[in-house]
Amino acid sequence: MSPSNSSKKRLELEAPERFRPLVDYDLCKRCKKCVNECSFRALEFVDGMVKPVGGCVACGRCINVCPAQAIEIHQVPSQFPPHANFNERVRRAIMSQASSGGVLLTSCGTDVPYPVMFDEMLLDAAQVTNPAIDPLREPVETMTYVGGRRGQLELNDEGDRFSMGDDPAPVVGMDMPIMIGHISLGSVSYNAQKALFMAAKELNILAGSGEGGLHKDFHPFAGNVVSEVASGRFGVTGDYLKRTAAVEIKIGQGAKPGHGGHLPGEKVSALISQTRMIPLGTDALSPYPHHDIYSIEDLQQLISLVKESTEYKVPVGVKIAAVHNVGAIASGIVRAGADFITIDGFRGGTGSTPRIIRDHVGLPIEVAISVVDQRLTKEGLRNRVTVFAGGSIRSSADMIKAIALGADAVMVCTAAMVAMGCRVCQQCHRGVCSWGIATQREELVSRLDPDVASARVVRLFSSWNEELKEVMGAMGIDSVESLVGNRDRLRYFGPNSKIAEIMGVKHVGEGWG
Amino acid sequence: MRIPREGCDEHIVPRDITSQVNQPIEEHYGATRPPKLQYQMGGCGIAGCMDLSGGRLSGDKIAKMLETMGERENGLGAGYACYGLFPEHRDDYCLQFLFDNEDVRCRAEELLESTGTVTKEERVYTRRVKSMRPPFPLVWRYFFRPDPKVEWCGRTDLSDDDLIVQLAMHINAEMPGAICVSSGKDMAVFKGNGYSYEIAEFYDLSRYSGQMWISHSRFPTNSPAWWGGAHPLSILDWAVCHNGEITSYGINRKLVEMAGYRCSVLTDTEVVTYLWDLLVRKQRLPIPIAAFALAPWYHSDIQRLDPESARLAKWIRITYKEAFLNGPFSIIVGRREPEVTMIALADRKKLRPLLVGKSSDDKILYTASEECAVRVVDQNAETWTPNAGSPMIARVGRGILRDGTEQPFTGVRI
Repeated sequence: MSPSNSSKKRLELEAPERFRPLVDYDLCKRCKKCVNECSFRALEFVDGMVKPVGGCVACGRCINVCPAQAIEIHQVPSQFPPHANFNERVRRAIMSQASSGGVLLTSCGTDVPYPVMFDEMLLDAAQVTNPAIDPLREPVETMTYVGGRRGQLELNDEGDRFSMGDDPAPVVGMDMPIMIGHISLGSVSYNAQKALFMAAKELNILAGSGEGGLHKDFHPFAGNVVSEVASGRFGVTGDYLKRTAAVEIKIGQGAKPGHGGHLPGEKVSALISQTRMIPLGTDALSPYPHHDIYSIEDLQQLISLVKESTEYKVPVGVKIAAVHNVGAIASGIVRAGADFITIDGFRGGTGSTPRIIRDHVGLPIEVAISVVDQRLTKEGLRNRVTVFAGGSIRSSADMIKAIALGADAVMVCTAAMVAMGCRVCQQCHRGVCSWGIATQREELVSRLDPDVASARVVRLFSSWNEELKEVMGAMGIDSVESLVGNRDRLRYFGPNSKIAEIMGVKHVGEGWG
Repeated sequence: MRIPREGCDEHIVPRDITSQVNQPIEEHYGATRPPKLQYQMGGCGIAGCMDLSGGRLSGDKIAKMLETMGERENGLGAGYACYGLFPEHRDDYCLQFLFDNEDVRCRAEELLESTGTVTKEERVYTRRVKSMRPPFPLVWRYFFRPDPKVEWCGRTDLSDDDLIVQLAMHINAEMPGAICVSSGKDMAVFKGNGYSYEIAEFYDLSRYSGQMWISHSRFPTNSPAWWGGAHPLSILDWAVCHNGEITSYGINRKLVEMAGYRCSVLTDTEVVTYLWDLLVRKQRLPIPIAAFALAPWYHSDIQRLDPESARLAKWIRITYKEAFLNGPFSIIVGRREPEVTMIALADRKKLRPLLVGKSSDDKILYTASEECAVRVVDQNAETWTPNAGSPMIARVGRGILRDGTEQPFTGVRI
């Protein structure tokens, strides 16, 4: 081949496809449903046949809509010469940046195979010296109150009886120690947020509003909504702060510590433009810090301001990303007056984040919970605050271990999305979610039926709660507060005993004494 | 199975190697905490008796009650607490110690003398019991008045009670070989490593009489035999005998440690003792409210209470969620302030037995794990079982203030 020949046609330098939908033409009915449903335009109907044309992200929509079960998505075997150091992931990133010249965006939680300490811990059970409790026959309680606490109950001595004054602090009760995290209208569709709020109401738990304000249609759910005040202050009005079960000041998010919210312009539709009060089609990039919070005392003032604005009727909390000094930061936040604190681990999800941050910044939630619980205990503050922990709580097992490590309740997002149809294809930032979740396109949004999606979320968390009861019962614990920070009932079963020591968890094989 | 009772002897019995075949393998410990001990647990028998009219009961009576429940112990610890014991020293704190050697006794004594006045000191009468195995710690008692001007760790704001708590916890944590087993006024704890009848003989309890006795025999499952770890566990005038296993131990411990208590005995009972002191003495909760914090009603049951009681119950659960003792327990608690008081409480599922009895003349109150303990001393007593999580409260001179079958906050004035 001569040099002149090669210059005629530009050489393709893009990385090869990772996924390819394969159609069984014997089964295919040529109904074109898959072609119409593929929002990533990875399929075309050519010469009477469905053909893959590149761009498949393995969202799986085509598989589910195919009436003939004629489609399988194949992961294309690596087309790269093997190299353990310059592995395929590294080379794909280089190629992508060489093509785009930009910061790589991604979404969902990190997919880098870091160790997961949840998978390296085992729970205890009762044998002989205390009885296991059967939750089908005996009460096992999972109700959890969220809010600040005083550490002491002040009673008025009225001679023949004692009475309480006003409630010591605003609290909200949840039927299970689960909060649906802050998934904003904008990052997800109207139907998706509606489904999450419906589920929260039915389960009697809390759900975060995210940074997008609260759409007026969702006002009936306000009693279950935690309103977020993030650095962009999108949709934050006096009305928004008053119509809520709790307010959360968002300092950081596990998937992007040190970054603010990022809503790509593709997702700023007319609806989003109205609720966020920003121009149509513009990127909504929240400032990295709150520009009125450059210090802990500034945070204290904002907490006071929000408490004043809400007339001390709802708990006011602070969410931070788990970072290396999380214990001291949490302590400062409690001292600054927060009623609850939400710690978001680095594996947590997002609708859009720079990949460099998602994959390389922060602290795993298992360690963060333990460190915060131990620090607050050491400083005598642990009984003044409710601690939420999130950042990849994938299952009831993760939830139970997170609570045993020291969280009062967990914050869950990705699992709820998966229940609604999400396949964790990590394309939320592109705004073309084929399941109608992380998109604002009318034709895609309408694919998600809020009733169906909500029922699935309700069933998911109900089953987690039943599993929580089963495990607590086996441990001889009949109420969830007696699991919170009960690290005695965990054992570490992994390769790094230093991490067990930091988490305050004994190694497997170590008994009581 | 009962081991045949052997006679008493004033002589030290040399350790017999051949007899070890039938003994537990583990080492036995006196006042020194066993190395690497992190937590101890077990099942047990508990018994208490009280003369409601303020008369005095001999130590023989409580020993008989406890010994009768022989199946509830295995020889690895027993103990008794007596209240209304030292009328002639009723205004002095009685600090009773176990010491492993003279050296540590001198150091503890120096500490007492530097923080107050020892009005009387004496070696507590003990005698050798043939069947008991060494070590045998020295048992000493000091009647003590704290110096009101004393500075403790730079603090001058401590009340007498708080100073005593600090002293006892300091000695237990920082002086290996010394354990302060009781530190209240007009009361003392007699405990050690052995069967209930051995400990009663070791201290010759027939020498003592008081307005109230509470007692405990141990059946530990996996913890070493340690004199310091036997019940009752006591701080100030509180003494707790506990049959159970608290599944929320780490959480309860967290709460008392946040409040400044130092756990050195490492049993759940120690934490229960500190919880009573924290809730009732420090935070001034009435006893039925503190009891509700330790053994709260279910949320669903709380809703059945009248609205004001329900609100109180809800806030007790929220505020004191770390005080909630989860898992099976029955406890007998003694206190001397403001009057000699007995509290008997079982967990909210009633997973461990607890029985209350009263003599036919309404004079003597009994509490025990099993009915046999009451019957052996009083054939005609009326007995009943308190409800799950409902405290029985009785006070010398005032009688039974709650029989343990009432709604949560009745008798809340107590």
